[in-house]
Amino acid sequence: MATEGQQHPIKIYFLIWLLLFVFSFFSYLVDYLDLQGNLRWFLIVVFMLLKAGFIVAIFMHMKWERFALIFGILLPPIALVVLMFLMAIESNYAWNTRVWYMGEDMAPKPKPPEHLHHGESEEETHY
Amino acid sequence: MTDTTLSTQESIFTSTARDWSSDMSTFKGVPWGKAMMWIFLLSDTFIFTCFLVGYMVMRMTVTEPWPVASEVFALTVWGVSVPLLLIAIMTFILITSSGTMAMAVNMGYQRRKWAVFWLMVATAALGASFVGMQCFEWTKLILERVRPWYNPMGAPQFGSIFFMVTGFHGLHVSVGVAYLLIVATRVVRGKYDHTNFEIVEITGLYWHFVDLVWVFIFAFFYLW
Amino acid sequence: MATVEVPYQETVPLHHPKTWIGKYIFSQDHKIIAVQYGITAMAVGLVALILSEFMRLQIAFPGWEFMNFFTADHYYQAITMHGMIMVIYLLTAFLLGAFGNFCVPLMCGARDMVFPFVNMLSYWVYLLSVIILMISYFVPGGPTGAGWTLYPPQTITAGTPGFDWGIATMLISLAVFIVAFTMGGLNYITTILQARTRGLTLMRMPLTVWGIFIATFLGLIAFPALFVSAVMMLLDNFLGTSFFMPAVVSLGQKLDYSGGQPLLFQHLFWFFGHPEVYIVALPAFGVISDLISVHARKNIFGYRMMVWAIVAIGALSLIVWAHHMYVAGMHPSFGFFFATTTLIIAVPTALKVYNWILTLWRANIRITVPMLFALAFVLTFIVGGITGLFLGNVIIDIPLSDTYFVVAHFHMVMGVSPILAIFGGIYHWYPKLTGRMLNDTIGRIHFYFTFIGTYAIYFPMHYLGFIGVPRRYYETGISEFYPIAAHNLNKFITIAALIVGISQVLFIYNLVHSYFKGKKAPANPWGANSLEWCTPETPPRHGNWEDRLPTVHRWAYDFGVPGEEKDHIPQTVPRRKAN
Ligand code: HEM
Ligand SMILES: [Cu+2]
Repeated sequence: MATEGQQHPIKIYFLIWLLLFVFSFFSYLVDYLDLQGNLRWFLIVVFMLLKAGFIVAIFMHMKWERFALIFGILLPPIALVVLMFLMAIESNYAWNTRVWYMGEDMAPKPKPPEHLHHGESEEETHY
Repeated sequence: MTDTTLSTQESIFTSTARDWSSDMSTFKGVPWGKAMMWIFLLSDTFIFTCFLVGYMVMRMTVTEPWPVASEVFALTVWGVSVPLLLIAIMTFILITSSGTMAMAVNMGYQRRKWAVFWLMVATAALGASFVGMQCFEWTKLILERVRPWYNPMGAPQFGSIFFMVTGFHGLHVSVGVAYLLIVATRVVRGKYDHTNFEIVEITGLYWHFVDLVWVFIFAFFYLW
Repeated sequence: MATVEVPYQETVPLHHPKTWIGKYIFSQDHKIIAVQYGITAMAVGLVALILSEFMRLQIAFPGWEFMNFFTADHYYQAITMHGMIMVIYLLTAFLLGAFGNFCVPLMCGARDMVFPFVNMLSYWVYLLSVIILMISYFVPGGPTGAGWTLYPPQTITAGTPGFDWGIATMLISLAVFIVAFTMGGLNYITTILQARTRGLTLMRMPLTVWGIFIATFLGLIAFPALFVSAVMMLLDNFLGTSFFMPAVVSLGQKLDYSGGQPLLFQHLFWFFGHPEVYIVALPAFGVISDLISVHARKNIFGYRMMVWAIVAIGALSLIVWAHHMYVAGMHPSFGFFFATTTLIIAVPTALKVYNWILTLWRANIRITVPMLFALAFVLTFIVGGITGLFLGNVIIDIPLSDTYFVVAHFHMVMGVSPILAIFGGIYHWYPKLTGRMLNDTIGRIHFYFTFIGTYAIYFPMHYLGFIGVPRRYYETGISEFYPIAAHNLNKFITIAALIVGISQVLFIYNLVHSYFKGKKAPANPWGANSLEWCTPETPPRHGNWEDRLPTVHRWAYDFGVPGEEKDHIPQTVPRRKAN
């Protein structure tokens, strides 16, 4: 099948490579600076989607494909968005029922990992 | 009817409608293998998303506490605890491997076989080191008594879902390493000389997809 | 890039095996693979049929000594294996593995699938999955008895038959099946999209190919959910994770599980399970459309509408899944959402039924055996579809859930109808596949037994459901709340089921006998237009076409065109110059 293949100036790959590092660095920074709350979720998701978008568009050459292919591949995952959205609602409901009707603790604190508190735990080991 | 001259002025909808209503092939100029790989990746996307939805449901429904990722995945270097250090390195490695892979594809279309070979081998080496680090991370967690069925810090689902999803991703990386090495040797052996080396691009699609999945795992498992 | 596209397959040589084994066992020829798929699926389907007869005997004659060996555990194992085999290993494998393999390359004017080797692997992996499934009868504890929906927690807690080994073989077999399906499915899709012949646009494809296309696509994006839930369930069972397992007390003991969400399994399962219904139904729709049009000598009514209905059903089927979970305790307002989408999906489905009927309207109907099956399909499908509307509404579904009404509904709509489509398709394409005609008389006898028999089985079940006879009961005993008449009805149903079961011997005899002794088939016995009837040889050889692929000039439904002397015009005949 006659194809020209996907040939593009190498410069753009380097650029995207760099951008991916930058975005990864920023999302790392979100954690490092200990941003919390909605701002944290927002930034994480934005950087994630930016990175994903660049990988798909440039590295996987989606940007240069014909729209016949782009639509064919990008439309079906809408079903997944529906699944995700509905499952979020469902989980919220399940959590509420657990907390309200079964008297579970609403905001329990996790124990810190072991490398942060050596030798404190007396629980039995589950091997 | 069979003339596929394309005007760039066409709106995206016109061009889509035209391709989908043409004869012989719908994805014009796309080799069979590449079309097949794209559809496979679409299917794989559904697998990973279902795993991630499972993670979301676990995380949202458990009433036991969920561990704080940045503490769990911190590394102590010279007495200082740096959050997510290993993950940062792993991310760095995987992105780099994506870069080398993209270069390999480019070299492929220029028919520079040895460049393709070495770039793919480099990609595979980076992938292998990624898997190695993942093993290190698993070992560390296991030494901290995290198990698929148990987690000393709170909800047992943390360990379950973590080992399952990173394990499944690691499996994809390992398969990818093997795939890369096979294709790389076959390229220099001249198996694809009669083609346009689109096989490199197809391999690349798979590899970038693995990287793509990591982007989501990174965000949801380590930062969230 | 002004290039004139040439079908790629015209430019590359085919792989030609030399040995007998290469030609008929590890064959890469799509027609042979189709036959292999078909035979395996029928063999395993026979197992499921026999299991159902045992269940029916038990329901009708509880306490009969002859059935003493058939304990409650056996009943539940039989139910599970019967359901799973019928839905996945018979219907999915037959409609996509056998019809898909046979029809897609032929009807697309291709020499073979795009990757014949992967296609061959697909069959062998499918065979492996069937073997693993059958092994579950030999592991300690026998196969799982959880019901084909495999709902946790009961699936993997003690007390359910096969809760440890049986469920493992079942889940592994399903995962292997998914791998096989993916390999095959990628091939069908790529072939349809990328390897059509000259002039064959998507809107000229026979509806069979459209049905297979969308169904395969649905499979590729729905099976992942099943795969994921199988993996998670295996981990729950063998590693002690708690994805689906809440804290439970089983047989007086608190298990080690805690915090899992059983509803997640149900959601994932039905995110796969509902599209699965259409994976089975859409190819059947396609086959039936073609059969009706060919044997009624009339173009299919509203071809474009039919295509868009298939596409719309495919898309909508991904967002209706929780109508199987109205009584599961999910979020209270989900019922509204899913009932709405479910009723919306009825619109394109009804459209298809109207179009079949309008195709028959004043047509030159030939009551051939395939046509009989096609007409029967429409009748059963209407019944099943209408009861589906009942069950799609939350308030009506709640009292009917888990009664025989549900059993009657799904057997009508996804049990009997696709089976009738399969029979019809076999009677239709057998001459092309083997070069022999099937025996017409035996075919007719087989048809009447099957059609009237299945109606006799499932129609009364609706009444059983109304009076509250529960589904999945080994033994109901003499209950106060339903009359003795229900037991008599059960006896009647069982006798009908036995007759239907036995009459399938006729079919198998017909297949085997006609293969050796049947009348020689002409190249185009039904006067059909689609490409598979235009092959240079009957049966088509490896590679299907001589050195040049056919060229398509028209759709596949030019029957009785005014002003033409022939009553049908094959797709390869050029169109007259427009005036
Ligand atoms: C003559 C043919 C058949 C007979 C006599 C038959 C009989 C039965 C019986 C007795 C049950 C158990 C009902 C109960 O106790 O709740 C059952 C369940 C079922 N059957 Fe069939 N069946 C036949 C064909 C089919 C076909 C072709 C399909 C394909 C879709 C199918 C799919 C199922 C399913 C999915 C279940 C539910 C299993 C479960 O509850 O887990 N059956 N059938
Ligand atoms: Cu459904």
